[in-house]
Amino acid sequence: MAEAASFYIFSGLMLLAALSVVSNRRPIYSVLSLLVVMFCLAALFVMLGAYFIAALQILLYAGAVLVLFLFVVMLLNLSPEALSRTRIFTLRGAGTLAALFLFVCLARILASVGEPPTGEARGTVEAVGRELFSAYLLPFELTSFIILAAIIGAVTLAKREPSK
Amino acid sequence: MSLPADWSLLAVELAACGWILLTLAADLLLSGARKRWLWALTLSGVAVLALLLGWQQQMGLAGSFQSMFVLDRFGVYFKWLFLLTVAVVVVMTREFGALLSERAGAFYLLLLTALLGMLVLASIYDLLMLFIGLELLTFSLYIMAAYLRTDARSVEAGMKYLIMGSVSSGFLVYGIALLYGFAGSTNFNVIHAALASEPAPLTAQAGMLLVLAGLGFKIAAVPFHLWVPDVYEGAPTPVVALLSVGSKMAGVVALLRLLLGVFQPLAWLWMDLLAVLAAATLLYGNLAAIPQTNIKRLLGYSSIGHAGYLLMGLSTGSLAGARAVAYYLLAYLFGNLTVFLVVTAATKALGGEALDDYRGLSKRSGLLAASMFIGLLSLAGVPPLGGFVGKLLVLLATVEAHRIWLAALGAVNVAVSLYYYLMVVKRMYLEAPRATSPIPVSALTRAALAGLVLGILAVGIVQEPFLARIAAALHP
Repeated sequence: MAEAASFYIFSGLMLLAALSVVSNRRPIYSVLSLLVVMFCLAALFVMLGAYFIAALQILLYAGAVLVLFLFVVMLLNLSPEALSRTRIFTLRGAGTLAALFLFVCLARILASVGEPPTGEARGTVEAVGRELFSAYLLPFELTSFIILAAIIGAVTLAKREPSK
Repeated sequence: MSLPADWSLLAVELAACGWILLTLAADLLLSGARKRWLWALTLSGVAVLALLLGWQQQMGLAGSFQSMFVLDRFGVYFKWLFLLTVAVVVVMTREFGALLSERAGAFYLLLLTALLGMLVLASIYDLLMLFIGLELLTFSLYIMAAYLRTDARSVEAGMKYLIMGSVSSGFLVYGIALLYGFAGSTNFNVIHAALASEPAPLTAQAGMLLVLAGLGFKIAAVPFHLWVPDVYEGAPTPVVALLSVGSKMAGVVALLRLLLGVFQPLAWLWMDLLAVLAAATLLYGNLAAIPQTNIKRLLGYSSIGHAGYLLMGLSTGSLAGARAVAYYLLAYLFGNLTVFLVVTAATKALGGEALDDYRGLSKRSGLLAASMFIGLLSLAGVPPLGGFVGKLLVLLATVEAHRIWLAALGAVNVAVSLYYYLMVVKRMYLEAPRATSPIPVSALTRAALAGLVLGILAVGIVQEPFLARIAAALHP
C-alpha cells in the first residue's frame, strides 16, 4: 500500500516537473525542473531495489549532465525576449503535432505490453559488477576505447597551436 | 604457449587495440620531424592486422565469444574490405598531411579506433555490440570531420555530423531498448527465436523500425541523408573517403546481419519499406547530384544514390540480394576510393574543389585524370568495370524478387548518374586547363592508384573468384 502510494506520488511529481520543463519560458527553470525529474526517476529505481542505478542516475544526470546544462544556460544568458523571437507559430504547431503523434504511438505500444516481468533485484552494486565483468566483459572493455577516442579528440580539438 | 581457443577469435581486434596504444605512445614520444613517419607505423599496423586475419582464415577459426562476438566467413570477408579501405585512407592522409600539421599523430590514432569499430561491427552477435561498434566508428569520425578547426567549413561539418549522428544513435538505442523489453535479451539468437515464435507485438516492430532508422543515418539513406552534402563538402577529404566507404559499408554489414538473421521473421514488414526507401534514395541522390558545382558535394549526393542501390539489394530479403550487395560494396570500395584519392592528390595543385578546377586535368597529370575517369565510370556502372557487375547483380536480384518497377527505376538511374559523372570527365579531358604545370604525384599514391584501378578492372572482368568468396561467406 505504502509502496503504491509512493509510486504514484513520485510518478505524479515527475510528470508535473516534466511538463514544467517544456512549458517554462526561462531556460534556467526548465533545467531545474529537469533536476526534479531526475530525482523522481532515481526514487523509482530505489523502489525497484536498484540502489546502484539510482545512485548512478543522480551522479551522472543530476551531477554531471545538468550542471553542464546550467553552465550553457548561464554562459549564453539569453533574455526571454530573445527566446520568444524564435517561437514561430508554425514551429509550435509542428511541435504539438509531433508530440501528439509520439504520444499516440507510445500509448499503443505500451498498451500492447503485458505485465512487466518481476524478479530479484538486479540493480545492486554486486549484480551490476558481476554482469559487467562476466557476460558484458567485451562491450565493457571496448567502451574504454570509445572514451580514449573522445579524450584524444577533445584534447586535439581544444589544444592551442604552438606559437611560431 | 597457446592462447585459449576463445581469445584467438579476437586476435585481430586485440591487435588493433594494441596498435592504437602503440600509436598513442609513438605520438607522445616522437619529436617534431620524426612524427611524419607515423603514417608508416599506421600502415604497418594495418598490415599486421591483415596477417592476423589471414592466419585466422588459414586456421579456419570460427565460433562465438561469450555470444557477443562471432567470427565467421561473412565477418572475415568484410574485415578484409575494412582493412583495405583504411590502408588506402592512410595513404590519402599522408598526401593530405601538411594541413594536419602537428596534430597528424592523433589523426592516425582516430583512424585506427574507427577501424576497430568497423572490425567489431563485422562480427556483432548482440545489439549491445552493434551500439558499441557504431559508437567507436562514429566518435572517431565526429572528431576527424572537425579536424581542420581553423576552417569554418570543417567545424560546421563536424558539428552537423555530431548532432545528426547523436540523434540517430538516440533512435538506435531506443529501438534496442524496445527489443530488449520484448525479448528479455539483446542477443541475436534470443531475439530471433522470440520473433519467430509468436506474431510480433507493436513494441518489437517499433524497436526494429527504430534500429533500422538509426542505421539508415549511417548509410545515408533518404530520409536520413540531410547531413551528407555539408559534411562531405567541409570535412577533410580522407575523412570523407572513410565516411563514404567505411562507414557506409559498416552500416550495410550490420543491416545484412540484422535483416537476414534477427529480423527475418519480420520480413513482411521491412521488405516493402526498404523497397520504397530505396526508390526515394535513388531518385533523390542522383537527381540532386546533377546541379552540383563542388566535386565533394557531387560525390556526396552520388553516395546517397549508391545507398539506394544497396537498399534495393537488401530489400529483396534473399540470398541473391545479399550476394549482390556484397559484390556491389566491393566494386563501390575500389571506385570511390580511387576517386577520393585523386581528389586528395589533386586539390592542392588545382587550387580548389570546384568542378571547374578540374578543367584540363588530363593535360597536367595523365595518371590522375585516367584513374578518375575509370573510377567514375565504374561508379556509374559502365561495362566491363566493377560497378557494372555490382549493379547488374542488384538489378537481377530485384527482378527475381518480382519488383520490376524498382529494377526499372534502378536502370534509369544508371543513365542519370552517367550524365553527371561524364560532366566531370568532360571538364578533365575536353576543356583547357588554367595552369599547365604538371602535378607531382608521390610514388606511394601512384602505387595505390594503380592497385585500386587494377581492383576495379579485376572485379569487373574476372568475377568468378570474387563470387566464389562471397558465396562461401554467405553460406550459413
